[in-house]
Amino acid sequence: MSTAGTLSGSSGEIVLSAEHLTKRFGSREAVADVSFDVRAGEVFGFLGPNGAGKTTTIRMLVGLARPDKGRVRIRGLDLSRDFEKAMGHVGCIVEAPDLYKYLTGRENLLHFSRMLPAGAAQRIPELARLVVLSERLDDKVSTYSLGMRQRLGIAQALLGNPDILILDEPANGLDPAGIREIRQLVRHLASERGIAVFVSSHLLSEVELTCDRVAIIHRGRTLASGPVRELVDRVASDRLRLIARPARRAMEILAPFGAAEIAAEETGADGEGAIDARIPKEKVPDALRALTAGGVDVFAVERSLASLEEVFLEVTGGETV
Amino acid sequence: MRFPGLVENEILKFARQRRFRVVVLILVALIGLIVFAQSRGRQRFLGGKDWHVETQERMARIQNGLRDGRMPETMQRWARFELDRLQYHLGRDVNPDAISGPLFVRGFANAASYLLLPLLAIVFASDVVSAEFAQGTIKLLLTRPVGRARVLASKLVAVLLAITLTVLFGGVVAYLFGGIAYGYGGWEAPVLTGFRSAGERLDPAAVRSIALWKDTVLAYGLAWFAALSVGALALLTSVLLRSTAAAMGTMLAALIAGTILPRLAPSWETQKYLFVTNLPLPDYYSGTPAPIPGLTVGFAAATLAAWAVAALATAFFVFVKRDVLA
Repeated sequence: MSTAGTLSGSSGEIVLSAEHLTKRFGSREAVADVSFDVRAGEVFGFLGPNGAGKTTTIRMLVGLARPDKGRVRIRGLDLSRDFEKAMGHVGCIVEAPDLYKYLTGRENLLHFSRMLPAGAAQRIPELARLVVLSERLDDKVSTYSLGMRQRLGIAQALLGNPDILILDEPANGLDPAGIREIRQLVRHLASERGIAVFVSSHLLSEVELTCDRVAIIHRGRTLASGPVRELVDRVASDRLRLIARPARRAMEILAPFGAAEIAAEETGADGEGAIDARIPKEKVPDALRALTAGGVDVFAVERSLASLEEVFLEVTGGETV
Repeated sequence: MRFPGLVENEILKFARQRRFRVVVLILVALIGLIVFAQSRGRQRFLGGKDWHVETQERMARIQNGLRDGRMPETMQRWARFELDRLQYHLGRDVNPDAISGPLFVRGFANAASYLLLPLLAIVFASDVVSAEFAQGTIKLLLTRPVGRARVLASKLVAVLLAITLTVLFGGVVAYLFGGIAYGYGGWEAPVLTGFRSAGERLDPAAVRSIALWKDTVLAYGLAWFAALSVGALALLTSVLLRSTAAAMGTMLAALIAGTILPRLAPSWETQKYLFVTNLPLPDYYSGTPAPIPGLTVGFAAATLAAWAVAALATAFFVFVKRDVLA
C-alpha cells in the first residue's frame, strides 16, 4: 500500500488511510498524491509549514472537501461512499476549535451528542473530567480561554467514542502549559485507549515530542515519512562534532573525508575549537587516525543527533518553517 | 432516527440567539402602534356618521375623480373597481369599513403579507446556514456521522417552524391589541370576498359572502404560504452567499424592488413571473384589482410554489456538493 505504511514499525491495525489524495484549486495543486496510513494506538504527525497543504488534506480526510483524485478509507470504508458510517469512527477538530459561543460547554456537547447514536450524552461527565472542564461546563463558551476551548473541542471530538482522532494544529495559540496538557492528553488517548491520533502541526518540536510517526508535507507533497526516530537518524548519522586543537589544522585534515567547518564562536585563544563535520560513518575511524597522525589533539568526538528541524530543513531544502 | 434531535439542535440555536426575542418585540411593538394610530384616525374620520351615507359620499368622490379625466390609467382601473366593490357592499347591506377585533386581525394578514412577514422570514432563514460558516461551526456540523442533506433538512424544518410560529404569533397579537381597541367579538360576521376584475370591471359572479373566521383562516394560510416560500428563497441565498449580511441584503433588495416595480412599470407583464410580485397572496384572494393582468390567487400561489421548490432543490444540491473551505 502506501509508503508510510511500509516504513512503519507500528503493529496496530490501520484505521485511516489516505490513498493518493490530490486536490487542485484552479491550476494550483494544493495537495498532490499524498498517501499515508494511521494505525490504532499511534500518534501520527503531519508536519509542514503554513500553506503546505495540511488543512486541505485534513478537509479531505473528514469529508469537508472532495479529493480530485485518490480516496480516504476509514476502517476500510470509503469515505465518499459510506460517509455516515465512516464518520461514525472519526472525531475531529478542523482548524480552530470553533464551537457555539453563545451556548454553554454542556449545551455544545449535548448539541453534538444529538448528532451521534444514542448514548453519547452519557459520556459528557466523564469526558468533562478527562479534559478538566467539569467546573466550567455550565459557563458560556464565550467566557472560555483558548486552551479551554481547545479542550472542549477535544471532548466534543471524543463524544462518539472514535477510533481515530484528527486534530488540526492543536497547539496553535496555546501557552506552553496548555501545549503540554494537550500533548499528555493525546499520548494518553493513544497509549491507554488505543485510539489512532492524527495531529497536524507546523511546530517541529511539538511533533517530535508527541508523535510516533511523522509525514512531512511541503508544497502539497509528502517529502518524507516514517517513524520519528528513523527520520532523525537519517540525517543524524553523518553529523559529528569534535573538540580539537588546533582546530584550523584539524579542519584541513578532515576536509578530504567530508564537509567540515569550525563552529566559529567556540574557537579559543590557544587554537582549540569545536568543529562540525559531516563524515560518512564508515570513514570516521580513518579520519580520527589522520588527525592523531597530523599532530592534532582530539578532546572529544560526538555524533550529534539532528532534531526534526534539521530533517525538515534537509528535506524541504532550507525553506523556513 | 436522529432527525428530531437535529431539529431540536436548530431550534435551540434559534432560541438562544437574540433574533427570536427581537422578532417577538418587533411584532408586538408594530401591531400595537398600528392599532393605536388606526383607532385614533378612525374616530376623526367617521365622526359618528351612518356608514351608508359615508360610503355613498366616498363613491361620489371617486366618480368625480374619474370624470375629471386627469387620473392616470392604472388609477382609473382601480377607481372603477373600487366603485363596483362599494356598490356591491351597499347592495348586500354589508359595511365595507366595519371594524372589530377580528376584522383587524383579518386586515393584518393582508397588510403583513407583502413586507412584514417576508421580512421576518428573511430574518430567520437568511443566516441559518451562513451563520455556521461565519462561526466556523460548519466544520463541526458537517463532520458528524450525519449526511449533509439531513443537516440542511433539519435547518429547513426549523426555519419553517419558526416562520409558522411567527405568523401565528402575529395573528394572536393582532387579535389581542385589536380586541382592546375594537372589541373581541364578531367572528361570525359575513364578509364579501373574491372581488375579481373581469376585463375592465368587477366580476360579480366571483363574489362570495363567507363567515369572517373562515375568511381569516384562509388569509393567514395564504400569508403563511407566502412567508414559507420567502423562507425557502432566503435559505438558498444563505447557502449560496455564506454571509448573513449579504444574504439579508439580497433578499431585502428583492423584496423592496418587488413592492416598487408594479407601481413604476405596471405595463411590463413578465414581472408576474417574478417571485416578489406574487407575495401579497391574501390581497389577490380577497380581491383588489390585480396590479398586472392575469395575477390571480391561484397563479400567484403556483408561481411562489415553483420558486420555492426550485430554490430548495438548488440549495440542497449546492450544500451537499460544495467543498467547505471556510
